[in-house]
Amino acid sequence: MTSSDKSIIEVNDLVTHYGDRKILKDLNFSVEKGEIRVIMGGSGSGKSTLLNHMLALLTPTSGSIVIDGVDVVNANRKTLLKLRQKMGVAFQGGALFSSMTVGENIKLPLQHHTKLDEHTIDIMTRLKLELMNLAGYEDLMPSELSGGMLKRAGLARAVIMDPKLLFFDEPSAGLDPVTAVELDELILKLRDAMNMTIIVVTHELESAFKIADKITVLFDGEIAITGTVDEIKNSKDVRIQNMINRRARDEHLDAEQYIKRLTTGKN
Amino acid sequence: MLTVFKAKIEHLGGVGINIVESSGRLGLFLFNTLSRLWMYRFPLEETIKQLLFIGAKTVPLILISGLFTGMVVALQFYDTLIRFGSVDLLGAAVAMSLIRELGPVMAALMVIARVGSAACAEIGIMRNEQQFDALDCMAIDSYHYVMLPRLIAAIISVPLLTAMFDTFGIGGGYIVGVLIHGVSDGAYLVGMADTIIWNDVWMGIVKSFLFGLVIMCVCLAKGFNLHIEQKQSGAVGVSQATTQAVVLSAVLMLFVDYIVSSLML
Amino acid sequence: MTFVQKTYLHYQLLALTGEVDLHNSPQVRKQLLAIVGSGNSVIVDFSELSYIDSSGIATLVEAYNLAKNKQLSLTIVGARGAPLQVMELTHLNKVFPMIETLDEIKG
Repeated sequence: MTSSDKSIIEVNDLVTHYGDRKILKDLNFSVEKGEIRVIMGGSGSGKSTLLNHMLALLTPTSGSIVIDGVDVVNANRKTLLKLRQKMGVAFQGGALFSSMTVGENIKLPLQHHTKLDEHTIDIMTRLKLELMNLAGYEDLMPSELSGGMLKRAGLARAVIMDPKLLFFDEPSAGLDPVTAVELDELILKLRDAMNMTIIVVTHELESAFKIADKITVLFDGEIAITGTVDEIKNSKDVRIQNMINRRARDEHLDAEQYIKRLTTGKN
Repeated sequence: MLTVFKAKIEHLGGVGINIVESSGRLGLFLFNTLSRLWMYRFPLEETIKQLLFIGAKTVPLILISGLFTGMVVALQFYDTLIRFGSVDLLGAAVAMSLIRELGPVMAALMVIARVGSAACAEIGIMRNEQQFDALDCMAIDSYHYVMLPRLIAAIISVPLLTAMFDTFGIGGGYIVGVLIHGVSDGAYLVGMADTIIWNDVWMGIVKSFLFGLVIMCVCLAKGFNLHIEQKQSGAVGVSQATTQAVVLSAVLMLFVDYIVSSLML
Repeated sequence: MTFVQKTYLHYQLLALTGEVDLHNSPQVRKQLLAIVGSGNSVIVDFSELSYIDSSGIATLVEAYNLAKNKQLSLTIVGARGAPLQVMELTHLNKVFPMIETLDEIKG
């Protein structure tokens, strides 16, 4: 794995376990500054686990994760704190705090980490709300928002400090196609205007092909391929072709065993 | 035959290990939360908000339960004392039972019912919805921002609520003894003042302080560690955690009650 | 980040150099609000500005609003690259008067 001056994330020989079970098996990949990387994989492929390890929410069994020059596995509290202020994370359900209004939720990182004037903070919050098409929703409580709005509010909070890195967990899940497309456009705009490096974990093919510079595909805890959209589409790997063409896994039918399962319930 | 026996031992062993792990997690939780007191500035605003939820809003419940407890205690003592002709001791008897024992324990049970279950559920839901993950990623310390204010608010509120419970209880006893059964009001009040010593009050304060700590710590920890301890996540996990929290904090509270009583009496 | 203040015709010209971010935007804010507060229209020179974040943009919005309320103006000259993209992303390029060079303002 060559270390490039341009790579802002480097994952080397990452191995993780959940109890005794090995989840991620020797993962190696890197992400360049300003890149939009989509991480794809079916359920159980380990993509959420990979995300949680990159965010330093979990500790790996072995291997290293270096983000913007910081070894997140071994970093001390202060270094990790400083790095986290440069990272924004948009969680699947928004993960907003139900006791505060939408505006108060979005402002929270600014109030904790900066000494900016209240006026500046308020305008910054509203700028982000406008960007997410949530203008005017500042004083509502999270319980009053729809699923799509919660995601956008969570995204507004993730980018309120104009982070260098943005992590997006399942942006399109549960959204109608129109809103999903708008979100895709937003991701592209954010990268272009703010020069953000964006990591998106998703299983939505259309979104992935639209926004990704490169796609990393995981199967069973291993990387099947990291490549551009065209490289993925032309891949000879059967699993990848199945995934793209949305074919069910090919199962060879053993007639005797099948009848046995149906009549006795035993394999 | 031997395998059945072995399975039972394994199961018991597993339960034992779970208990030890749980206790360890609880201890770590308490240490982590309290350590934020000297690591960061005091979370004044958050603590005041929690004082409102935990303290102020529990007062009506304390009022009612204190009143009725005092009334029932007075009734029971009256019936006994009148047989010995010592009805003048009613005030002292009611006050002593309340201040030393019933006040702290009953107030703690009310707090568990109203505050403990709600706190555990709230924290459990936060855990479910990845709100603690979000706090971690925003570099905001969950122990400092969420847990410490609630713990401090509990330590301040529960003794105050206990004091209110005692007061309403003594008042309830007055209603039953003096107003209904005609015990001399002078005897009730002066008898009480003469018999109660500082150690009695001090015992009530120590107990209620510890009860507040135990209850809030257990309920918060159960919600916070939901994803580790409960077999199912989601709504089922939250309700399981809440039930366990309520039961455990009640049992631990009674245990602490015995320890303090035996040490201070 | 550094800034230099000069007089240009009847405006105060504030030239920003480098990057405006969370850490130094309060200084810019103080300066801008002081300029407008003392009754001057202001031109903010973006030509040496390589980056401006939302806190910087918010500062400009606040100053613009204050200027408007006092019947003064806030103009941006020489925006390019990332700062221009941010202005476009926030649609503020349609709100703030934006000019390419100072020549466009005659006495």
